[in-house]
Amino acid sequence: MIRRGIQRAFNLAIRRRDRWQHDVEEEIKLHLSLRAEQLMAEGAAPNDALAEAVRRFGPLAESRARMLDAARYREHRMQRTEYFAQLQQDLSFAFRTLRRQKAWALITVFTLALGIGATTAVFSVVSSLILHAIAYPNADRIVVVQQMPTQGNNTGLHIQITPSTPIVNGWRSRTRAFEELEPYRSVGLLLKTNDDPLPVNATEILPSFLSFTGSRAIVGRMFSAQGIETKAQVALLSEGLWRERYGSAANIAGKTITLGDSLYTIVGVLPADLRLPIIGRDRVDVWLPLDLRNSNLGVNVIGRLRPGATIPAATQELNAIAAEVEAASSAKSPFVTLIRRPAELMDFHDSLIMLAGAVALVLLVACANVAHLFMARATTRERELAVRAALGASQGRLFRQLLTESLVLALAGAIGGVALGWFGLKAIIALRPPQMPQLESIRLDSTTLAIALGAGVLSGVVFGVIGAFQARRSPQDVLKAGALSTSHSRGQGMLRSALVVSEMALTAALVIGATLLVRTVVNLQRANLGFEPKNLYWVSISLPEKPFATAASRAAFYNEFVARFRTTPHVRELAFTSNPPGTRSFAVGTFEIQGEAPTSTGSGTSFVDNNNIDENYLKTMRIPIVEGTFFTDTSRAANQVLVNAGFAHSHWPPGGSLGKRVRVAYRGEGDWSTIVGVAADAQTTGAGIISTAPYLYSPIRTPARQTTIMVRTDATVDLAGPVRTLVKSIDPSVRTPKVESTEAFIERTIAKPRFTMSLLTTFTLLGLTLAAVGLYGVMAYSVAQRTREIGIRMALGASQRTIANSVLRRGVMLAGLGAAIGLAGAFYGTRLIATLLYGVAPIDAVSFATGAIVLIVTAVVACVVPTRRALAVDPIRAIRAD
Amino acid sequence: MAANRLPVLKGTLDLLVLRALSWTPMHGFEIVSWLERAASSALDLDDSALYQAVYRLEARGLLEADWGVTENNRRARYYKLTTAGRTYLRTETKNWMQYAETVTTILTAAKDGLPSTSPAT
Repeated sequence: MIRRGIQRAFNLAIRRRDRWQHDVEEEIKLHLSLRAEQLMAEGAAPNDALAEAVRRFGPLAESRARMLDAARYREHRMQRTEYFAQLQQDLSFAFRTLRRQKAWALITVFTLALGIGATTAVFSVVSSLILHAIAYPNADRIVVVQQMPTQGNNTGLHIQITPSTPIVNGWRSRTRAFEELEPYRSVGLLLKTNDDPLPVNATEILPSFLSFTGSRAIVGRMFSAQGIETKAQVALLSEGLWRERYGSAANIAGKTITLGDSLYTIVGVLPADLRLPIIGRDRVDVWLPLDLRNSNLGVNVIGRLRPGATIPAATQELNAIAAEVEAASSAKSPFVTLIRRPAELMDFHDSLIMLAGAVALVLLVACANVAHLFMARATTRERELAVRAALGASQGRLFRQLLTESLVLALAGAIGGVALGWFGLKAIIALRPPQMPQLESIRLDSTTLAIALGAGVLSGVVFGVIGAFQARRSPQDVLKAGALSTSHSRGQGMLRSALVVSEMALTAALVIGATLLVRTVVNLQRANLGFEPKNLYWVSISLPEKPFATAASRAAFYNEFVARFRTTPHVRELAFTSNPPGTRSFAVGTFEIQGEAPTSTGSGTSFVDNNNIDENYLKTMRIPIVEGTFFTDTSRAANQVLVNAGFAHSHWPPGGSLGKRVRVAYRGEGDWSTIVGVAADAQTTGAGIISTAPYLYSPIRTPARQTTIMVRTDATVDLAGPVRTLVKSIDPSVRTPKVESTEAFIERTIAKPRFTMSLLTTFTLLGLTLAAVGLYGVMAYSVAQRTREIGIRMALGASQRTIANSVLRRGVMLAGLGAAIGLAGAFYGTRLIATLLYGVAPIDAVSFATGAIVLIVTAVVACVVPTRRALAVDPIRAIRAD
Repeated sequence: MAANRLPVLKGTLDLLVLRALSWTPMHGFEIVSWLERAASSALDLDDSALYQAVYRLEARGLLEADWGVTENNRRARYYKLTTAGRTYLRTETKNWMQYAETVTTILTAAKDGLPSTSPAT
């Protein structure tokens, strides 16, 4: 009665309030009613007692407000304290638990670290070579503009043509798809020094190239557009050349240098980070003005698309402009525009994409492993969690605690992963093939690091949630099951098996890919090149222009050189060629056989391999003549040629090519040549597919200023010194020729595939190890679960063999199923890497069989310990336990 | 009657509440009753002032509270001293005694500064 009165008296709202507000109200109410009861006990009337109690309490509204304030503050403080106390508790508990399960924690952290580390290393490379291929402003809109033949390219190479200056001028003045189009042109020049002239890479640019690339001169200034018009002989040095040769002199501007035969005035220095857009190119040493009025030049073009402009639209526009320009000059070129992103021009692009895919598979395997490591643990801890829940731990509290544990692990894994990634990247850089200097400058980039850490934290959260989700079973159920091992849902077993099967499938795909690449490298090494690279060298001679203007002066030089070079120790044979190993030259035009219709229709241009050789070339190279004879008459009138066996045999019956007349017709014109012999196929550019396209050998007639002399020795020798002495003694003005070893060259052609192969093999081994650990975990767990069952079987007389078989069968079945899925996937997947293979088909029986066998063997190895554990089960103890 | 009562000096109420709780946990009304008994109703104090003091002390971590049940089966919030509260009570009691003693000495001192208890000349 009194309480109801109090309620009315203070008009306490009956609505849901926070607990602390409710506490305050309740406390005041209690006080007032106790005071009123006290007063009534002293003899006061109920109504008076209530009034007196209120009076003695003092200013009610004001006090209540103050008490509420204090209570709110207290509540928040308590929550905060409690939160941190719990966090601290969670963390220390997590560390304690993990220390108790050291092996488990280590495996988990290591697995995460491997996955994250491999991914970090490879994606750092991808990020810097592909995603950030170019450091110019608005790099996402930068494209490289080239031309390519419309048809008739049967060389097996991508042929890109640098557009001519009239077309580039047309593009620059009329384009709407591009904000800017910057032409540039790279030339090799000789820088005059006190010693031998130094070959330098010079690049001719327009003044606008600097703003296009977002760069500026670090010393002096850029040359002006007027300078180009007046043909001023000015140059800018690269920072590298400036530091190496000019000691970083601040007063370099105004000095002069001699490039080739011309004198240039240095006006400034451009920074080292200013690079040309194509990765893998040598650095630029000197920057020179580009004169677009010279209509005989072909120039490289790089452009920045307008926002929203697409590559197909831009291609169409440039094609139309080029057609207009050509219509005006009445020349019809058989070329079309080819616009590509700078990253696509990097020749390691395909390999890198493949490696990124492989490493992503490894990461998936690692994640699957971590997932079932967590699941396995969640089940072993089910009882612990159930007991704690029964003792009053809330679901939320348990959830948070599991989450803390997994986050601690995930962070440790992520940190380990970053460390491994750093070492991995160092290893990649150390193993890089010599042709890929750009790998040297790669660092772990911040985006990759952030993603790796994010992946770590995310996996922690996900796996924590998986664990917590499993802990959701009601404690009664778990505890009721008694001390007998707790019952596990079929679904969970299925899920874990599915994880192992998918790990096995991913790994099988990796093994197949790696085997294909290993076979590729082996094939490359063993490839029959059709010539003998051992003890074969070549000397590249480049005679200066002035004293060697006439054919007679050149012939005199070469004759003396050859005569004296022949007497050098170990030198056995010498031969002249226009194509040293690794190079090809082409006659441009349509290949025609007399009496047959041209093979390519219309005005298409083809590129016909052509090699000008002297009479010793085939002997020196050890290329046999398989049909007919060598040139019997090297005169222009006789016009004899040899062709390659690949072409001759694909086109004619044996012997049918001899006496046939062929020509390379350009605009319908060209002299006919007679085939007098067929030479065996020789792959002088390194192992490639035997081509059925024509390869013509013609006699070398006028010795050019630049030529190559092949040298056959009878031992491995260093010819650089003797060649230099010899050349200088004949004519000191001739630059020291370069001497190269064919064996070393062949070795270099294999370096990139081998590099890709070793990386992929490493990732495959990682994946295999992780998958084995995963299978081991599942098998060990299943044996532990079946201890009682195994005990009973043994007691009933099952032999050791039967027991071992039952364990092994399950492991091998899981691996086999995974391998089957992996093989099926690889059946479709390997064709993606077809371009990286040599001498082996994407669907290769050996590789697929290897994939299956490696997986099964791994499975058996992973099952050894669980099987031995199963055999060691003591039937009496297993049955009696519990 | 109110005229005879002593107003509570600032800061001393905290001390009195802590003292009240130094033997046993109590709920709010018990503290009030104890103070009234101990001071023989000599203190002039609104009941609400006491609650404010209790809340203040709790917020400072000198007290902690928990819901319990009274002898008559009513739900009440019981307060007890924390370790910090006990330490605080000990030091502040000492301070207060010294302070009171000093003030008393000064107030009762003779003109030459000597306490009045010393023999007058």
